[in-house]
Amino acid sequence: MEHYLDLLSVLMLLSAIMLVSHKRIRSYIRTFRLQAILIAVIAGFMGFESLMTEGSIDILVICVIIIALKVVIIPMLLHKTFANVEDVVEKDFYLNIPILILMSCVLVVFSYFTLSGISGLASGHVNLQVVNAFSVILIGFFFMISRKKAIGQIIGYLVMENGIFVTAIFSTHGMPFIVDIGIFIDMITAVLIMGVMVVQINEKFDSININNLRNLRG
Amino acid sequence: MGLVLWIAPLIAVALSQFAKKARTLHAISIGVSLVMLVLAGYCTHAVMVAGELTYTIFNGLFLIDSLSIIILDIVTVIYFLTSIYAIGYLQEEVRHGKISSEKLRLYYMLMYVFLFAMVVALTVSNIGIIWVAIEATTLASAFLVGFQNDHNSLEAAWKYIIICSVGIAITLVGIIFLHLSSVDVIQSGDALKWNVLLSEAKHLDEPVLRFAFIFILIGFGTKAGLAPMHTWLPDAHSQAPSPISALLSGVLLNSAMYAIIRCLTIVNKNSGDSQFAGRLMIGFGLLSVLTAAIFILSQKDYKRLLAYSSIEHMGIIALAMGLFTPLSIFAGLLHMMNHSLTKSMLFLASGNILQKYNAREISKIQGLLKTLPITGTVFLLGLLAISGTPPFSIFGSEVNVFISVFNADQAGLGIVLILLLAIIFAGIAATLFRVFFGSADAGQVQPGETNLPGALAICVLLIAIVVTGLYLPDGLKDLFIAARQIVLGG
Repeated sequence: MEHYLDLLSVLMLLSAIMLVSHKRIRSYIRTFRLQAILIAVIAGFMGFESLMTEGSIDILVICVIIIALKVVIIPMLLHKTFANVEDVVEKDFYLNIPILILMSCVLVVFSYFTLSGISGLASGHVNLQVVNAFSVILIGFFFMISRKKAIGQIIGYLVMENGIFVTAIFSTHGMPFIVDIGIFIDMITAVLIMGVMVVQINEKFDSININNLRNLRG
Repeated sequence: MGLVLWIAPLIAVALSQFAKKARTLHAISIGVSLVMLVLAGYCTHAVMVAGELTYTIFNGLFLIDSLSIIILDIVTVIYFLTSIYAIGYLQEEVRHGKISSEKLRLYYMLMYVFLFAMVVALTVSNIGIIWVAIEATTLASAFLVGFQNDHNSLEAAWKYIIICSVGIAITLVGIIFLHLSSVDVIQSGDALKWNVLLSEAKHLDEPVLRFAFIFILIGFGTKAGLAPMHTWLPDAHSQAPSPISALLSGVLLNSAMYAIIRCLTIVNKNSGDSQFAGRLMIGFGLLSVLTAAIFILSQKDYKRLLAYSSIEHMGIIALAMGLFTPLSIFAGLLHMMNHSLTKSMLFLASGNILQKYNAREISKIQGLLKTLPITGTVFLLGLLAISGTPPFSIFGSEVNVFISVFNADQAGLGIVLILLLAIIFAGIAATLFRVFFGSADAGQVQPGETNLPGALAICVLLIAIVVTGLYLPDGLKDLFIAARQIVLGG
């Protein structure tokens, strides 16, 4: 059981690094969906375990919501948004990809040392999984700031959210149920609103390159 | 009864779906804000009598005490005055064809959702739900910030939603670690409730809790406008329609600060002193004041200047809370109220100026006292108030912050703080006071107030800050003392 979870958390980390290496928006969305499937599997495992030991179905319900939301609905919304904006293939990142991947690895090492410095965390048996999940948060954040296009920022935000969810489920077996539901509602609303805004930005600025958004300063 | 606070804004959303005329929409808005005001009054009374107000429904999810009721009262009062102001403001915008009547409906509906999320954040006992509600305030107000739908407001809205969503996501990491620190102590039914966390604070896992607080402070600090996470704030506050700016600055910043204070209380009770959390708060607070001072000195846009001044005052509040002495907490809480009233008054007045002159640049405004006699006077007095001149209320709370800084043997900190505030005063005087002099171009602007209900609303706020500057009623004082006791750890 533990081995499977270890494996899944490592796969999740790899999917985040894979995301950093992509060049096109379509492949961002595809990798995001892959990561969502991995999360659903993790939640399924944990949910099954908690059903067997404690008899609670909370995590399994969450797993179903993840499949509906992150595997199906959100990628669909993103595809729709992307279809509405003009598709110009141009260099979408500030540094080149090998450097980006190297820096992602540095982030993993960084989160390993940060988390193992905290005595309460290092004692738990979930340590490695939490490190991986926490790295996904950092890589998502890094992905956001390394891309120029607005959709890249949305994906980065979603990857952060994925990492946070997995951190929660590995370290505390999930947040209280009602909080999790609230988080999902917020997330889907956020993606909807950001999607609408991307289309508006595309109309006003003729591109979704956020480098154009620099009128307001000082 | 208190639960109606949650239901009323939602009913208003439903009602505005069916409203046909603009007049009906305005009437609903006034009605709701009046209902909220009455309910807040009822809750205040209940809290003053019993200490806290809670219901058994939803496992005690609804819980308010003296600390939350103070912020809730600020929200409802400012919301009420803003909705009076908004009638005149929006009519003027519709007359000039800047917004259509369909967008008017959207404006009001988003505003109710915004209000709902803010009230929920202030009245729930679960920190996780507070998180959900504060994220919801971002989402509801994002379109309001970008309401004018031009290049600048769209840029402001995009920055706002991205920076605040990421900040809030960082908070969520903190809340997970907060949950982790309590997972062995608190049963799952009571998980993340601040009242339970506070009473069990001594048994929480200290290193994890501290780790959690860093994330929570950075995340909610983004929303509260603390430097260096403040970058969304000047854009959003200056581009939003003025009633929304008043709400963002006067109300939303306080809600985020409230969440920080709740967590600060838990961390400080856990470690027994304010060494760790206090230093972080003081650091961020001082940096915010410094940032604001620099940007105010060279500001060319008056709404942005007011936004930077909000950063400054949030910094002062964070610093006062970080000191964590009884006097500084009292002064900090008082400052939250004073800043909200003064700053929302200024933003509302700046809305009148913007509509009259149709310009955001300070250099294009002249002869304000002649063209807008009421707004101009209020704006002048408000600027004096916000920079800390007696007899206005901000002077009182700022002096108390200074005294508490020096009492805590932090003379160096106090001197730096006073110097920075002096720079800010000079900056405001140097950049903004010129708008009152000179004569307006006769061909460009017609003298005379256009928004009479708005003028009334800002006058009420002016009276409020003068009165509370001279004299704090006993009931209010008791409430603040009770809140101080809660922040100190009960």
